[in-house]
Amino acid sequence: MTSVRHAVPDPADRSKGTPTVATKRLSAGLVGVAALALATACGPVASGGSSADTGGSDDGAGGSRLTVFISGDTNLQDLWEQGLIPAYEEANPGVQVDVVLDLHGEHDQQTVAKLVTSTEAGDDPGFDLVDAGFVVASAAEAGVLHEVGPDVVSGLADVHDTILTAGKGVGIPYRASSVLLAYDSTVVAEPPQTLDDLLTWIEENPGQFAYNSPATGGSGGAFVTTVLDSYLSPEDQEALRTRYAEDVQEGWQPGFERLAELGPSMYQGGVYPNGNSQVLELLGSGSIAMAPVWSDQFITAVENGLISEDVHYTQITDPSFTGNASYLGIPRTSDNTEGAIDLANFVLSPEGQTIIAEQIAGYPVIPLEMLPEGIAETFADADPTALRPSYFSENTDDMNNMWDQLVP
Amino acid sequence: MTALDHSAETARRPREARRPARPGGAGRRAERRRAAVGFSMALPPVLVISLFVGLPVVLAVAFSLGVTGGLNRTAAVIGQDVHSTDGLLTTAAYEQLFADPRFPRDLAATVLVTVVTTLVVLGLAIGIAVLLRLRGGWAATLLSGLAVVPLFIPVVIASWAILTFYSADGFLRSLFAQVGLQAPVLGFTVTGVIIASVWVNLPFALLMAASGMQAIPDALIDAARDAGAGTLRIVTRVLVPLAGIPLVIAGTFTAIGVLGQFTVPYFTGPNAPQQLGVDISKYFQSFNQPQQAAAIAVVVFVIASGVAATYVWANFRSAKQEGRV
Repeated sequence: MTSVRHAVPDPADRSKGTPTVATKRLSAGLVGVAALALATACGPVASGGSSADTGGSDDGAGGSRLTVFISGDTNLQDLWEQGLIPAYEEANPGVQVDVVLDLHGEHDQQTVAKLVTSTEAGDDPGFDLVDAGFVVASAAEAGVLHEVGPDVVSGLADVHDTILTAGKGVGIPYRASSVLLAYDSTVVAEPPQTLDDLLTWIEENPGQFAYNSPATGGSGGAFVTTVLDSYLSPEDQEALRTRYAEDVQEGWQPGFERLAELGPSMYQGGVYPNGNSQVLELLGSGSIAMAPVWSDQFITAVENGLISEDVHYTQITDPSFTGNASYLGIPRTSDNTEGAIDLANFVLSPEGQTIIAEQIAGYPVIPLEMLPEGIAETFADADPTALRPSYFSENTDDMNNMWDQLVP
Repeated sequence: MTALDHSAETARRPREARRPARPGGAGRRAERRRAAVGFSMALPPVLVISLFVGLPVVLAVAFSLGVTGGLNRTAAVIGQDVHSTDGLLTTAAYEQLFADPRFPRDLAATVLVTVVTTLVVLGLAIGIAVLLRLRGGWAATLLSGLAVVPLFIPVVIASWAILTFYSADGFLRSLFAQVGLQAPVLGFTVTGVIIASVWVNLPFALLMAASGMQAIPDALIDAARDAGAGTLRIVTRVLVPLAGIPLVIAGTFTAIGVLGQFTVPYFTGPNAPQQLGVDISKYFQSFNQPQQAAAIAVVVFVIASGVAATYVWANFRSAKQEGRV
C-alpha cells in the first residue's frame, strides 16, 4: 500500500521543470545514504557486530583471517563459535575466524545471488567457507564454488564415496544425520521393524502417526522418500539420487497413491504439520504416538525435556529411512582459499568430528575407528557410510511439489 | 493516511505559492527554487520506494511473463520449470498454474477466507463501536479494550496460541470433555484460519469504526430518535452510513492483509486447501519454481488492487468531503 501511495508523483511536481544541479546532487546524496542504510539493515549480521562484508583477506600482520558463513539455526552457530572455531584457533595461533550467521537461512536466495555476482565480477564474496543447504543445491548448480576432492582437501580421503559423490564435486561433507522412527514406549510396546510393518501399524492405529509435509522439513521428506523408494528398482533409486531424473519420476505414482491412501489414518485424519519441530511438539504432548524424526533434533529435544524419556527411537529396515550429510563449500573467488581448505581439513579431522558428535549429536563422516571409543560406541548403530541418501536436490523439489498435489 | 496527507500537503504548497507570484524575475526565481526544494524533498522516498519496491515488482511481473534475461537471469538459472519467452511475452507459467487443480482450489479457499474474515471483522467492529457509542458503560469499555489486545501480541505467537487452544488436545476440547461433550477440532482447518485471522485483524478495524462513530454528533442521533427511529434504524441509517469511509478503509485493509497473509495459515491451516501466501513461499523455496511463485504473487496482486481501488475511492471521497480536492 505504501508503495502505491508514494510511488505516484504529483503531476504538479512534474510540471515544475528541471531541478537545479544543487538539488540533483542533494537528492542523489540522500538516495545514496538511504540505499546504504537499507542495504546494511537487511543483510545477515556478523557476530562481532560488524557488517557481513568484513573481508576475508589477510590482514598482513602475520596471522590470517577467515570468515565462515552459516545458514542455519543457532545450534550451528554454537557448534562453530563455541566448538570448532576455538579449537581451530588454539591449534593455529595467529588465525582469526569470524562467523557470519544468516539465521534459518532466511536470505539464502540473496546469498546465492551475491555469490553469483561476485563470482562473475571476480570479487571476494566476503566469506571463505560456507555451511549451508544451498552448497550442494543452487550454488553447485550456478558453479560458484571450488571443485573439491581428496586431492584438494586431504581430509576427504577418509570420507565414504557415497556421500562425497552427493556433494556434486563442490560440497565437503562434514557431518550427517539420519531420520529415525520415534515412538512412545508407553503406547507402543513393540515398534515396527520394517516399512511394511510401519504402514500396517499406521492403518491399524488411525490418528496416532504424523509426518510433516516434505516441503517443510526433512523428517517428513524421509518418510515420503522411503515409501516412494519401496516401489522403485535399485537402479531407479540410484538414478534419482545421482542426477535430475525426470524420466524416472513417473515411477513415483504408486508410492504417492499409497501415501494418499494412508491420509485418513494420519493425525486428525490427514493433517501434515509444518516443519520438523511441530511433529516433535505433537510427539511431546502425546497427541501422536509415532513419527519420523531427525536424529540430532530428537536427541536434543529429549535432553531439553521437550520430549519425555518414555519416547524411544529405532531405525526401520527394508528400506531404512534416509539420512544425509551436510556440506561445506568454498566460494570460487574467495580471497583466502588456502585458509578455508585448512579449516575444512580440521573439521574433518578426528578432533573436529568429535566436537560435532558431542555438541550437536551429528554423525561423524569419517570411519568410526578413527574416533575416540565413547563416540564410536554411541554411533555404532548409525554408521554414516550405511546412510541411505535422499534424492538429488531437483528431484526432491519435484517430489515436494507432487506430494503437495497428490497427497493431502 | 498520514503519508497521503503529508505528500498532498507538500505538493500543494508550492502551487498555492505561485498564485500571488509577481511577474518580476526575482519572484519567479524564488518560486522555482521553492518548487525545486519541494521536489527534492519528495524525491528520496519516491526513489527509494521505486528502487526497492517498484523495480522488483516490475521485474517479478516480467519474470512471470517469461522475461528471463537481464536481472532475472540468476533466478531463471537456478529455478526449475522456468518458461522463457520466444517472442515478447508468454503466459506459460500461468497456464501451468491454472491447469493444476491445486491452484484454483487454493485461490477459492483464499478468497473465501478473505471474504468471511472481512465480513466477520466488520460485523464485530461495528457491533462493539455501536455499543460504545450508544450505550457506553464499563461493559463496552472492557469489550473494546479486550478487542485491541491482539495489536500487542505478535502474530506468530498468536497463531501458535490459537492452534494449541483449538487443537485436538487443546483447552476448548479439554473444557468440553469435563462435562462429557465433544468439541470439534478446529486446529489445522480453514475455520481455524478464519478464527485466527479475525483475531489478528479485529483491533485495527475496531479502532477505525470506533473513531468514526465517536465523530458523529449527538444531535443527529437525538434527532433520529425524536423522529421515532428505533436503535436498529439509528445504526443502519445514521451511524453506519456516517462512519462509512473509516469502515471502507478498515474493510480494505483487512481484506488485503488476509489475502496475502502467511503466518496465520502456515501455523493454523490445513495442508490442503492452503492459502496463496503460503503457496508462494512453497513454490519459491520448496518446489524451486520461482516463476510460478511470481505468477501467484501477480494473481494476488491483481485481486488486492481491486480491493485497493475501493480504498482509493473512499480516500478520494473523504478528501472531497473535506474540500481538500
